[in-house]
Amino acid sequence: MDTSVLYNVPHEIPWKVYIPLYFYFTGLSAGSFILSSLSTVFGIKRFKPMALPAAIISFLLLLLAPACLILDLRQPFRFWHTLVPQYFNSTSALSYGSWLLTVYPIANLVYIYYIFVKNDRITRILGMFTVPLAIFVHAYTGFAFALVRARAWWHSALMPGYFLTSALLSGIALLVVVALIMDRWRKEPLEAALFRDLRLMMVGILLMDLFWNGSFWLTLLVSTADGYVSILYAFHEKLYVWGELVSGMLIPLAILVLPKTRDDRIWLCVASLLIIGGVFLMRYSVVFIGFEIPLS
Amino acid sequence: MSKILKPQGGVLLADSRPASSPSQSGSPAAEPAQSARPKRWAMLVDQRRCIGCHSCTIACKSENNVPLGFWRSWVKGIQKGNFPDVGNFFLRRLCNHCDVPPCCQVCPVQATARRDEDGVVVMYYGKCIGCGMCIAACPYDARFFNPIRNTADKCDFCVERIDKGLQPACVEACPSRALVFGDMDDPKSELFQRLASLPTTVIKPELGTHPKVFYVAAEKSLKGRISYSDDFKEQILEYHKHIPSPDESYWKEGGKE
Repeated sequence: MDTSVLYNVPHEIPWKVYIPLYFYFTGLSAGSFILSSLSTVFGIKRFKPMALPAAIISFLLLLLAPACLILDLRQPFRFWHTLVPQYFNSTSALSYGSWLLTVYPIANLVYIYYIFVKNDRITRILGMFTVPLAIFVHAYTGFAFALVRARAWWHSALMPGYFLTSALLSGIALLVVVALIMDRWRKEPLEAALFRDLRLMMVGILLMDLFWNGSFWLTLLVSTADGYVSILYAFHEKLYVWGELVSGMLIPLAILVLPKTRDDRIWLCVASLLIIGGVFLMRYSVVFIGFEIPLS
Repeated sequence: MSKILKPQGGVLLADSRPASSPSQSGSPAAEPAQSARPKRWAMLVDQRRCIGCHSCTIACKSENNVPLGFWRSWVKGIQKGNFPDVGNFFLRRLCNHCDVPPCCQVCPVQATARRDEDGVVVMYYGKCIGCGMCIAACPYDARFFNPIRNTADKCDFCVERIDKGLQPACVEACPSRALVFGDMDDPKSELFQRLASLPTTVIKPELGTHPKVFYVAAEKSLKGRISYSDDFKEQILEYHKHIPSPDESYWKEGGKE
């Protein structure tokens, strides 16, 4: 028997492009911070020249991120309500997130100061506390989606993990571009081994992201009606297939793996820029494909 | 006894008080004790009676001063069957006042809450920061941004009216008496008796939100889902054809052509 809807009331999408931008900026920030901590906390000396620029980029992006979040509010002057202890909602990921977004930039700033004055011991201790903060500040955005049971496209346990790995990916890609620019102006050039390590990390995380994507497709294809429609919708969305998957993951992966292009700095830069764009499209498609499936 | 006959289990009901205190033994003089007992307001939508006149939609808009182009509650028109055996159905949509509300779960500032005294999910407009998380999280698409108030907005069972002992505006306006409003926990209420005697269903029971808006004769095919063809591309087109989706300018100009 056929059933069709004659008329209905759809409601406006509540979010604007600021929301994916916000996820993108916190992701970049968390990713660059973790990269910065590789030398200061985990003691990998090769990444030492990257520690300060990565931390500074991470802090600057953290100023942009909450600005995007506040711009998207319909009542921007009430943003401080999220920090009133009486209003705290223990089941809401956003409640935790707003506290994390307040504490993390402060911790980040103190950390930058101690890198700047070259106090390695205190930097290491501070880094040990700030790395979990950086991880949580981005993982909570994944939880904000994963805890929405209404939308099959978001309601997945893979979401926080996927958000974290793609955050790391975009952070590394940004740092590669920064390192390539730095290399031009520095007196002593950066080691080739540094770029090789960053490239291998990008390859590893790209493969992991593709694995997450495959898991999403398989589970959604045998999911509820809403989940099935959302994955079909995604496959017909050009921005998702050509933007996120092909130009954001597969082409950079090919560039980074093929022996012809992998050791060339210009190709490395192109791949990093593609990844930076692709991760933004990933945030965008996560947010807005979720809204394409009408619920009423 | 009311506990046993509760249709949806009542997961979150914070009922610490004894079910019947000695002061409320049926006498009409015991009014204060009656109001102290926690209520569970619920609504029954009898689709067999609904004639699709949209009086409830209009009554809701004028009672709650809902801006042009936005609806707190509305009627969804559904057509079932193939020619010549076609039937029109009307699915009256409103906030389901879930016992486990996903909107209250995600609100970062507790601007929306399920009231303990009667189970109504209310908005506190002064607290709302307008982040839109509740709108994204509502499985029934019952929430929207009020463009004048600039906060999230939704049906609240006309909370000012029911607090004064009146019926919600939609229930009073319904000419075919398809809407029944009352206390789910009060065995004497009309709603309770109908719930106990009629086969009822709720929208999307699989999500475990325990809605308190019940439908009579709403079958599986009426749960806001549409059937699809076998062709992938056609399915998507079909899916969109049935859902009127005005563009951005429609929302800005409030439906003026």
